[in-house]
Amino acid sequence: MLLDLSEEHKEHLAFLPKVDSAVVAEFGRIAVEFLRRGSNPKIYEGAARKLSVSSDTVQHGVEGLIYLLTESSKLMISELDFQDSVFILGFPEELNKLLLQLYLDNRKEIRTILSELAPDLPSYHSLEWRLDVQLASRSLRQQIKPSVTIKLHLNQNGDHNTQVLQTDPATLLHLVQQLEQALEEMKTNHCRRVVRNIKNPLGEME
Amino acid sequence: MELSEYVQKGFQMLADPGSFDSNTFTLLLRAAFQSLLDAQADEAVLDHPDLKHIDPVVLKHRHAAAATYILEAGKQRADRSTLSTYLEDCKFDSERIELFWTEYQNNRNSLEILLGSIGRSLPHITDVSWRLEYQIKTNQLDKMYRPAYLVTLNVENTDSRSHPEISFSCNMEQLQDLVGKLKDASKSLERATQL
Repeated sequence: MLLDLSEEHKEHLAFLPKVDSAVVAEFGRIAVEFLRRGSNPKIYEGAARKLSVSSDTVQHGVEGLIYLLTESSKLMISELDFQDSVFILGFPEELNKLLLQLYLDNRKEIRTILSELAPDLPSYHSLEWRLDVQLASRSLRQQIKPSVTIKLHLNQNGDHNTQVLQTDPATLLHLVQQLEQALEEMKTNHCRRVVRNIKNPLGEME
Repeated sequence: MELSEYVQKGFQMLADPGSFDSNTFTLLLRAAFQSLLDAQADEAVLDHPDLKHIDPVVLKHRHAAAATYILEAGKQRADRSTLSTYLEDCKFDSERIELFWTEYQNNRNSLEILLGSIGRSLPHITDVSWRLEYQIKTNQLDKMYRPAYLVTLNVENTDSRSHPEISFSCNMEQLQDLVGKLKDASKSLERATQL
């Protein structure tokens, strides 16, 4: 599968062969850093001054690179397809190799970042627990009531959310049993078959 | 055991064989227990034909007194000697003390369960449900191919009687972590109960 690059995108990338490889490598590093942490316009100005071009040009070059990397990572295109897609741009061979390396080196991390953009449910972070025994209350003295207090840490859209909950020993055992069954499910023949077949669907061409 | 004067007076009246024979006494006691323990109970508990001859105001007073005393005894987990002592002080004869003790024993468990369930506590987990899915793609990412779990905890709130749910997603490692920690907790619980 080849990347579909728009005219505007190709124009932005056209800046890259005009500077030497060290600069392109640096742009690559900046591009990934921006994907991790968000963009920082000051960097564009600094680079623009050093290269004696407008900061817009630098920005477009870096953004073009970002888009090239994210699209390739999203689609998980093969090395060959990446090379063919970039070949259309008519860059020197050395630049093409550099771009390919940039893609291969960073693709896993970029995919991780992209996966965090999916519709988000709170996700499990960690859990703390504590055993308690209730000895008395206002309405009943001399009790021995064991319970388990649980602090559930969840993440959602970067926010950390904590829930404090309680359960009794019988329910705790039930929870463990149910969730162990859930884990076991992934090992069943049915699930294994589905996983195998979806990964290699019939007739998909690479 | 501290009871108000109103309650004490009402209770002491129950001792008098002149105004209450044994049969009436037992009926009244049972009515008191029923009012406390039966969720569907209402004023009709006092509608027994054998109680009709008693002035309703008097009846209600005695009934309320008995119920209050029962609650107090239940709360303090009164044993037989504590109960006997108090009843003797109220001038109950030994037959009535025996009757009271019998009724109390019959209903003791339910009473203690009821009293134990009153009060505030943290949201209580009652059940868990889970869903296993295989993620294929999102609009941001193709070819994901990974399993994911959606876990929902059913939770009960004692005061608001609401049943919120807590749902969260997790991957296999995270679920293993969760299950591991819960297993640690239950092993700890087992050890603690053997001490």
